[in-house]
Amino acid sequence: MATVDMAGIRKTFGSSVALEDFSLSIASGELVCLLGPSGCGKTTALRILAGFERPDAGTVVVEGRDLSNDPPEKRQFGMVFQDYSLFPNMTARQNIDFGLKVQKRSSAERKEIIDRMIEVTALQEHADKFPHQMSGGQKQRVALARAIATSPKVLLLDEPLSALDAKVRETLRDEIRRLQLEIGVTTVFVTHDQHEALAIADRVGVMSAGRLEQLAPPRELYENPVNAFVASFIGTVNKMAAVGVEDGRWRVLGRSIPGNTASTIGAADIAAVRPEQLAVDPAEDGSGVVESVSFLGPITRVIIDDRDHGRLFADIISADAAGLFPAQRVRPRLRDDVSDVVLIGPDLT
Amino acid sequence: MRAMFRRENRLGLFVLIPFAAFVFLFLVYPTLVVLWKAITPHGAMGTSALVKALSGTYRTGFIQSIALSGWSALIGGIIGLMLALVIKSLKRPKWLHPSLDSWSAVASQLGGVGLAFAFIALIGTQGILTKVFNNLGINLADYGITAVGFWGQVTVYLYFQIPLMFLVMMPAVMGLKNSWREAAAIMGASPARYWWSVGIPLLTPSTLGGMLLLFINAFTAYATVYVLNPSGALVPLQIRFLLQGNVITGEEDLAYAIVAWVILLLLTGLGLITVMQRRTLRWSSQ
Amino acid sequence: MISESRFRPTAILKWVFLIAVGLYFFLPMAAMARFGFQSVPTALLTPEKLFTGWSISGLTTAITDPRMVAGMRTSLALVVLAILLNLALLVPLAIVTEVRSPRLRPYLTALTLLPWVIPPIALVVGVSATFRATVPWFLASVFSLVPFYALWAMPFTYRALDAGLQAINARTLYEASRSMGASFWTIIFKVLLPNMRASMIAASTLTAAMVLGEFAFASLLLKNTLPTEMVIYQAKNPRGGLAFAIFIMVLTAVSIGLVVRSLRRQGISFNATGI
Repeated sequence: MATVDMAGIRKTFGSSVALEDFSLSIASGELVCLLGPSGCGKTTALRILAGFERPDAGTVVVEGRDLSNDPPEKRQFGMVFQDYSLFPNMTARQNIDFGLKVQKRSSAERKEIIDRMIEVTALQEHADKFPHQMSGGQKQRVALARAIATSPKVLLLDEPLSALDAKVRETLRDEIRRLQLEIGVTTVFVTHDQHEALAIADRVGVMSAGRLEQLAPPRELYENPVNAFVASFIGTVNKMAAVGVEDGRWRVLGRSIPGNTASTIGAADIAAVRPEQLAVDPAEDGSGVVESVSFLGPITRVIIDDRDHGRLFADIISADAAGLFPAQRVRPRLRDDVSDVVLIGPDLT
Repeated sequence: MRAMFRRENRLGLFVLIPFAAFVFLFLVYPTLVVLWKAITPHGAMGTSALVKALSGTYRTGFIQSIALSGWSALIGGIIGLMLALVIKSLKRPKWLHPSLDSWSAVASQLGGVGLAFAFIALIGTQGILTKVFNNLGINLADYGITAVGFWGQVTVYLYFQIPLMFLVMMPAVMGLKNSWREAAAIMGASPARYWWSVGIPLLTPSTLGGMLLLFINAFTAYATVYVLNPSGALVPLQIRFLLQGNVITGEEDLAYAIVAWVILLLLTGLGLITVMQRRTLRWSSQ
Repeated sequence: MISESRFRPTAILKWVFLIAVGLYFFLPMAAMARFGFQSVPTALLTPEKLFTGWSISGLTTAITDPRMVAGMRTSLALVVLAILLNLALLVPLAIVTEVRSPRLRPYLTALTLLPWVIPPIALVVGVSATFRATVPWFLASVFSLVPFYALWAMPFTYRALDAGLQAINARTLYEASRSMGASFWTIIFKVLLPNMRASMIAASTLTAAMVLGEFAFASLLLKNTLPTEMVIYQAKNPRGGLAFAIFIMVLTAVSIGLVVRSLRRQGISFNATGI
């Protein structure tokens, strides 16, 4: 299957820099998500990979071949667009057939592939409908079938779920992942929704202002964000002041605890503490006051207004949160089972 | 609540009735009279007037009018469509698209007397272009490029046909999403393939509708032909001839018959346009 | 799509096409201007004489010709009356449709297309046949043209008004004002009409352009309006006639152009062709 290597990509539009020295290596069969807010350059990177934009510098290598000068028609990729982009004058079946016809496959082969695609995306009822007769979710499944019917080397998805309802989004997201694993096609998935990215990707590349901040499996991003941007973008984070105590240890929330960076005594830094790493004790002399207590089922989210650390989010197992109520004076602390903290550097956001 | 509702109905009627009466009195009623008179020549029901209106010089008139309208619709339609496509694809300069929008709104209304004058000044016998080409040794009249000849008139008609087509086609052309082009490309299709399979089928209903509109527009043009070629064999001029009473007795009803045919032609045209519109609407509700 | 360079071959072709079309539209107007404002006859024109003999005397004589003046006065009166009649009929209708009976809208849009099916040259025959026989005094006056001009302005007037109302979300405005206690007439005069100014001006401008250029109906009913007088004058005095014609055209073009631009800035768009 296909490996993807984008190296040193730079792209400017007029005076604004969309991508700055962007490099990405994808293993065969891997699903990589490019995640970030609008304007971060993720769509530009995808379009350069597809061949719709020419980079000012850098190369695009797929399966060892340099594709940088190839137009999109020659790259043999598949793509799913945010607005589905189904040809309105063709039925679902004909849309799927389009790429196969271009590849000059025999009609027997085309029929077989189309039937299989329809089955695999559960479109039997809609196969002969036109796009204007289908719902968003159905259209996107047709778009997906159309993209993979041609056995592409790489599958590209440009925010495919953004235009859909929440419920449809979840189902379709899992379907995309299931199909992708089954076929084993190398996939690049662009999105601004971190839940999507974390749910289905093998690795996620978090982007900001034209730069790739961190490329890592979802868990790694969550537990070991490299900087403040990644820490805030993925999940919820409490940014807490940390003071260097002795080599490798930091003082956070009154506790001396190992951190993931070397420390000098008195050095100031920020620690990324996840909500589930905080415990909340009622205390008359506590530094915090409970702002709200939201029961979320298994977890209760407690928001605390702390004198020293500002707004804090704590996710407590509901059973333990029973005694907490708004306006109560509390002392937040790190849970006992937290064995180290992640330092993310001074907050530049 | 119900009383208020009824008052609203009354208000609607209060506004609609004068309007409907106006349209009836000044438009529908005279037309019905004409249609009636067309099928009752000399007071008795019959098709003699209708048949006569399509024979002899009148037949020539219809054919000429159809030819003039048809050619100007076809050529104007193609150029107008190309203009729309070109404007859509050129992103720079930024003022190009809005200027052309304004210009086409203006130019499509600029038929009539002034336009005829302008072309006489350009390619008439004393026209400046005629003179320029004469100096180069070419007599434009030999090529049929005069203001009064058939192709000269087609050229004049294009002046308002092209902007009209541009106006009509712009929405359809803008509706061609770039992402369709890109989707086709990523699946390996060349631009030609895309146009053949997607672009042209999508644009065809609007294009046909637009050209029909151009045809209707040209068929009923009067001022331009009156100035350029007052003695020509074209339907509007023949109607004028009949109206001014220059008829052999027994042929007064001819005017009604001709108008009846014209109305039938226009109604058919409009009907076809509506059919085309519905098709486009179906596909565009993505 | 692929980043465009202005110098790719297809881009050049496009520009050549645009320039060719531009020339086609520019040359007749230039020829007309030259004919109207330069007193050198075409036959005697040489490159050296290109910049001699320019004056607006043609235009001034035309404007002061008594018949032309009469024609202008008549046509201006017709413009005003046609606009008033048109708006009087259609503004209430457009408002009521948008605010109370939106179901009427497709029927009205179709109805206002009717004048297109019965063009001037067709209707004039019917009008002759009916009005001349029954109320000859009506057709004798030049103002008998007014109702018909109002009719032919209907397609774009209704569309302009409707587009304007939709752009301001008239329905919601009406209901919101209603819920704040305003009476029906207050809403009409204080809320809706002021907001319709742009589309009313647009409709009026297009009506004016149409009336100032309408030749067929006036000529066939033997009336003396500006267009008919222009044709007569041009036969006597070609240079003056053309100078005046281009003057009117420029005036019309500029006003329509301004109107279209200001409409676009307000976010109102409507298809002037009515389709």
